Amino acid sequence: MSIAHSQNLNVLLQEIEGIQLTFHNPRRLRADIAAEALPALLALLRGRASYVHLSAISCVDWIDDNQFELVYHLWSYETSVLISAHIRVPRDPGIYLSVFDIYTPAAFFERDIHEMFGLYFEGSPDMSKFILTEWNGPPPMRKDFDSEKWVMETFSWQQYHPDWLQELEQQGGGIVSTPESIRAGNRPMENKS
Amino acid sequence: MKKSDLDKVKIKQIPAQKRTNPFANVFDEFVGFCRSRSMFMLHYCTGCGAIELPPAMTSRFDMERLGIQPMVSPRQADILLITGYVSIKTLKRVILTYEQMAAPKYVIGICSCTVNGGMYWQSYATAKKLDEYFPVDLYIAGCMPRPEAVIEGLQQLMQKIKANEANSWKQYYKNYDYFLGNQQHLFGNNWQTPTDVIGEAETYQLAGPNTLGEHTKILQSVQTPLKPLEMKL
Ligand code: SF4
Repeated sequence: MSIAHSQNLNVLLQEIEGIQLTFHNPRRLRADIAAEALPALLALLRGRASYVHLSAISCVDWIDDNQFELVYHLWSYETSVLISAHIRVPRDPGIYLSVFDIYTPAAFFERDIHEMFGLYFEGSPDMSKFILTEWNGPPPMRKDFDSEKWVMETFSWQQYHPDWLQELEQQGGGIVSTPESIRAGNRPMENKS
Repeated sequence: MKKSDLDKVKIKQIPAQKRTNPFANVFDEFVGFCRSRSMFMLHYCTGCGAIELPPAMTSRFDMERLGIQPMVSPRQADILLITGYVSIKTLKRVILTYEQMAAPKYVIGICSCTVNGGMYWQSYATAKKLDEYFPVDLYIAGCMPRPEAVIEGLQQLMQKIKANEANSWKQYYKNYDYFLGNQQHLFGNNWQTPTDVIGEAETYQLAGPNTLGEHTKILQSVQTPLKPLEMKL
């Protein structure tokens, strides 16, 4: 991207109040904005700056801040620039606006995030189950869902001790780290903190 | 249904019994030999271990020299090869497929993931022990096992079939209550398949004391007659 273009983009985006722009490199721009300003930013980028492709929406669970971070990845085919727009929304009650009216593919990403994180998007066309059709538990990608505990309660472990392993053990070898020692709670790193 | 209750149920392996009539014996051996030399393997791949199958099937390692060929429909297949991790969603389909296969049928679990969930032990979405849900004849551990190991496993299965020892499919009928219980544990009590396993067990005279039980009672109470699928475009 030319320098002129990045300046243009800078000027254009200053129309949004409270926006913080960081150029990681000339083709990678990070924009941090308030959650309320996001639809305006997307409409602006799509309508006036050729960013027609919403390639993904990703979600991060910042459980200590009690917030979800949503990242909208926008791509321009004409300038080959990727803009990621970052917003934070409170974890409770976990409701945000759908951007389906600006970018149609958002419906899929929002449905996926709703399933994995339980974040509800108001105005999204379909918030029903998507991939985890067999799943009735809490949204599994939330940090407070303990997947390992759930597994321990639901499944049982099968002893696997074949002859070749027994032979190795007789020669002084064998398994270096047992399943128990690598359980999340038993890892040395986590015990320290 | 709690996990601990299910753990108590143990499945007894019944050793192969020879018939008393020597002619029947010879006949059984002949049938076993024929069966072991012409097997169709269902072309159904569940996990990443399936990557080792193309070399095992094609000219480099050439499974066909053992008489094993891929087959596209479960009703004509003899071997169900589970090639890797089975997500809970896939497991439903695998069970449907398994029940559709005609007996005698053989199940091989390839990859460590089928033994104990492998590296997906901590995952909420994968089923762990395959033989909780239907009987497995043979496991081939490894992440992933080389084609040599796959072929070796298939040869072992052939030996077992020849010796008339690969009878795990009978266990499904004899211990249907146990398997159904584990399936209900994952899928909920409304779980039902289009195959009437209890009816089949009675027809083949394979029903035993463990065919019916508390889980089959739940099944019979929620079972609804099957309807044709609605066509939607
Ligand atoms: S054992 Fe390894 S190769 Fe096989 S399915 Fe599991 S992760 Fe994949």
